Amino acid sequence: MGVRKSNIVFVGLVLLAALTALPAFDGWSMGSRVPAVGMQVEDFQLADLDGKTQSLSQYRGKVVLVNFWATWCKPCTTEMPAMQASFDKLRDKGFVVLAINELEDDARVREHIKQYGHTFPVLMDRNNKVANQFGVFGLPVSVFIDQEGRVQEYIKGGLLTEQMIDDVVAKIQKQEPVRAAALR
Amino acid sequence: MARKRLIVGFILSLATIFFSWPGTQTAQASCGSVSCFVVIGSQQQVPQAGLLTTNTIYNYTPMRLLGGTSGVIPAVLQDQRQMILDHHQETRTITNTLTFDLNYGITDRLGVEVTIPYLWRTHHHIDGLGEAGANGEGEPTTFNANSIGDMTITTKYNLLPTLRSMTVMGFGVQLPTGSTQKKDSVGEVMEPSGQIGRGQVGLIGSLYQTYELIPHRLNEFAFGSYRHTFRNNQGYQFGDEYILNAGLNLVTVPWLVLSAQFNYRYLVHDNVSASLYRSATPADAPDFPGEPVAIDPLIASRQVPNTGSTYFAFSPGFQLSLDGLADSAWTKMTSLYFYSQIPIARDSNGNLAQGTSFIFGLTHSFQMTKPS
Repeated sequence: MGVRKSNIVFVGLVLLAALTALPAFDGWSMGSRVPAVGMQVEDFQLADLDGKTQSLSQYRGKVVLVNFWATWCKPCTTEMPAMQASFDKLRDKGFVVLAINELEDDARVREHIKQYGHTFPVLMDRNNKVANQFGVFGLPVSVFIDQEGRVQEYIKGGLLTEQMIDDVVAKIQKQEPVRAAALR
Repeated sequence: MARKRLIVGFILSLATIFFSWPGTQTAQASCGSVSCFVVIGSQQQVPQAGLLTTNTIYNYTPMRLLGGTSGVIPAVLQDQRQMILDHHQETRTITNTLTFDLNYGITDRLGVEVTIPYLWRTHHHIDGLGEAGANGEGEPTTFNANSIGDMTITTKYNLLPTLRSMTVMGFGVQLPTGSTQKKDSVGEVMEPSGQIGRGQVGLIGSLYQTYELIPHRLNEFAFGSYRHTFRNNQGYQFGDEYILNAGLNLVTVPWLVLSAQFNYRYLVHDNVSASLYRSATPADAPDFPGEPVAIDPLIASRQVPNTGSTYFAFSPGFQLSLDGLADSAWTKMTSLYFYSQIPIARDSNGNLAQGTSFIFGLTHSFQMTKPS
């Protein structure tokens, strides 16, 4: 009787481990550490809602707000009007918003974007790879990237306001470009 | 051999976990009573930094005799350090527990949880078999007690979480804050297994994992824990406890999550440092009914018969997000939930066995500090 019970516990522990290993079959599923300010961001490519592939590197030379969101995430959708307002004001002044949707289908996202009239690029991170690249495990997350592809701000939670975005963009655009010691 | 398999299994499990990084996270939504071990997501996860998640849980747990069992068990007299075989006949126990659980995110990965139970326990048994009553049939005794139970403080760490999965390792210390000196209806100190507290520190290791099978629609979760309790000052040591749970959560509409889980618990027998007696039987006439008969007057470490158990149950339930139903400051980050734990298989070694139990809970989160 005692051996049978221990067998059950043994099998149970192995099953528990197997369940934990389940996500490992998803090859993109490794989560990375949060990128530090000043770190060069690795390029990524994602399809937008029109099926066109966009990359982070194509926006080099602009200040990029990379925002991770989902339609079911209330704080995400609450801050999007502020993102839209700043995008409208600053898009011709070297600023772009890339709204990266996590793990949802195109139809639902398209419906949401149409309903709220958002015009910034919406990219679809269907297998969660880019979120893992940025160490994202909660939504929303906003990452401000400068003209040279370095992280300048990493903001968790639905805190963005139009004023805050404008201030961060202005601060980044005012900064002197960093020169390597060898070039001086 | 059995112990070696358990250790190997545990090591294998940990090794597999460390070398198979998790996928995506579900930020979904353990119970305070020792006899209730339904997984409640908001208790098990690590909240975001600065977020305090509170759970207020009411649990009703009845314990009765299974068909075909007599309920005759030994009596353990703490103060006299005696164990008297076949001295009690158990009838039933009902435990109502109100648990207050605080779960705080120190960082996005490191959290601390404090669990404070308050118990009301009612127990009926026949005491003094072979000793009391005209024919040694004993006398009915009741026990009614209520007080704060044993508090638990748990440190938890979220291993490389992602949007689709979470694996949380926990290490907890159960503190002996519950009373061990409550008395029954005849003025005797109730034996340890019926007391509100355990009287000694316990250590708990746990692992909780969850993975979104269909993101924000269907997730699976699993939970395992091991608890070891040290011997208390009355010489009583509760047996080790192994728990394994696994289940699914289904988001039907944004405000309603249906849940189903299987719960398995294996309790090792208790142990006591005591002398050993037996109840008098008719064969002891003319000293029947009479005083218990000594078998071994030496105080030694002894397994307590009729303790230890195996319990396997199915627990369906649901969680209602008030946030999704009404938009107000009171309903923000607030949910109600209900589970029923239905036994499928039980082996209680002739002792009382847990019947169908119920859990009602309310969870609410507070953002204590702004996330950085």
